[in-house]
Amino acid sequence: MTSLIEDPLLWILLGVLVTAILAVLRARRTNMALRRQSAELRANRDGLDAERLRLHAQYESLRAEHERALAEVRAAAESETKDVLRAWMRTLQVLADEQQRSISDLARLKYGNDPKILADFMTIDHTNSQFGRRAQGIAALCGGWLGRRESAASVYDVARSAQGRIRHFDRVRIHSQVNVAVTSTAVEPVAVVLAELLDNATNYSAPGTPVEINIQSVPTGVCLIIDDAGLGISQEEKDRAAALLNTQGPVSITSLGSPPRVGFAVAGVLAARYGFKVSVDSVSPYGGVRAVILLPESLLTHEVPQPQPAEITTHDFDGPESASYAAPGPSPVTIVGKTAGGLPKRRRAVAVVPQPEPSVSDAPEPEQSSEVTASRLGAFARGTFLGRDTSITEGSQEQ
Amino acid sequence: MSGPGEDALVSSELVRSYVITGGRQLPDDDELSLHTLVTLAPDRQMPLSAGPEVRAIWELCSGGYLAVVEVAAHLGLPVGVARLLLTDLAEQGHLLRRAAPPRAKPQERAVIEKVLHGLLKAL
Repeated sequence: MTSLIEDPLLWILLGVLVTAILAVLRARRTNMALRRQSAELRANRDGLDAERLRLHAQYESLRAEHERALAEVRAAAESETKDVLRAWMRTLQVLADEQQRSISDLARLKYGNDPKILADFMTIDHTNSQFGRRAQGIAALCGGWLGRRESAASVYDVARSAQGRIRHFDRVRIHSQVNVAVTSTAVEPVAVVLAELLDNATNYSAPGTPVEINIQSVPTGVCLIIDDAGLGISQEEKDRAAALLNTQGPVSITSLGSPPRVGFAVAGVLAARYGFKVSVDSVSPYGGVRAVILLPESLLTHEVPQPQPAEITTHDFDGPESASYAAPGPSPVTIVGKTAGGLPKRRRAVAVVPQPEPSVSDAPEPEQSSEVTASRLGAFARGTFLGRDTSITEGSQEQ
Repeated sequence: MSGPGEDALVSSELVRSYVITGGRQLPDDDELSLHTLVTLAPDRQMPLSAGPEVRAIWELCSGGYLAVVEVAAHLGLPVGVARLLLTDLAEQGHLLRRAAPPRAKPQERAVIEKVLHGLLKAL
């Protein structure tokens, strides 16, 4: 035993053991400390993570709020711009309409007999019609109105009106098999939409090729089919057109590009507002685009307005030529003093085959007996009629 | 958006005259002067392609002779436009025309005065 105690190996072993125990203890302590530190760090990290999430959420909400505010400002700006544009366009629309009226009146009452001046007037009128249509298009996009007509107009006349509002109107052919009229409020919108489609059709097809309008009756109303002989449009274009044509709300005028392509946008806005349908998704028999306007019964009336003999109004066009528009010669109507204003408002039957009797009752001659008046007027009427008859060149008339 | 009440009346003519002529050149007034009388030839069938204006002319001229200027006034069209439509019809043989009655030749004042005196005495 003593020897064992005295064995240095034992002491060495003991020493090693103690050192080992001490080392383990130290390691354990270090380990504990590290764990503690790790836990602390983890907690710290979680806290920071939460903070990060909170900040992120805050950022998101701020950004959303910003976007909303921006959209609001944009909408307000757009709406204000539209208000201003609408007001401006209104004055332009009124002026264009006024100018068209002046051109018509001058052409009709003052310069109608001169083919050269009349042709110049038509050029001006044509440009003015296109200008008016542009103003109407912008007005429509800005939520404005196009103006209403006093009376309904036949679909054929609405189509001809649209035809007159585009540059290459002479390429348009209209085939109508219906005898239906468009209600007075829908005349302008339908004409403007058709004009926009015709404008597209003529601009995106070869110069000189015809553009056809076929007007057909369908069970739900009337179809106006516009066919061009162009190259057609890409799927992308079709999608863009379909999106614009089926819009139900206002259209952003700043999204139409520069120069703005307003055609389909105008068509879409007006179709939505007046309740008709426009589509451009089919192919025309000539390989180009087929656009279709479908007018429902609610926009149609079967009371086709009869072409009214124009109301002859007196105007201040007192040029030297206006005299030549008076009665072309002695006629029974002028004799009984039935002319109104500048132009003779003669009844055809009276002017061509004078009937003495009705003229008598219409002619107040207080100082003479009606018999005398009748015989004189009758003689005069027969005289003028015979005067016309003697120079007869073709055929003969039995008197 | 403005209300429907604000919708103003558009009063210009719906169909413009250059559409009616199809952008064609207008004829001179040599053939059909303002006072030339026109009427429908007997037993003619209206062309199927006739537009509203031609139909109106057809109706107007079927009753007898009417001056070109009167046709234009009844249609509410400039004379030049009516003349083009009438020229078309004449070329298709639908229309008869003849010159306006010649203007009375100016007589000597003395003769006219004598006639006037004679008439006044007769009354």
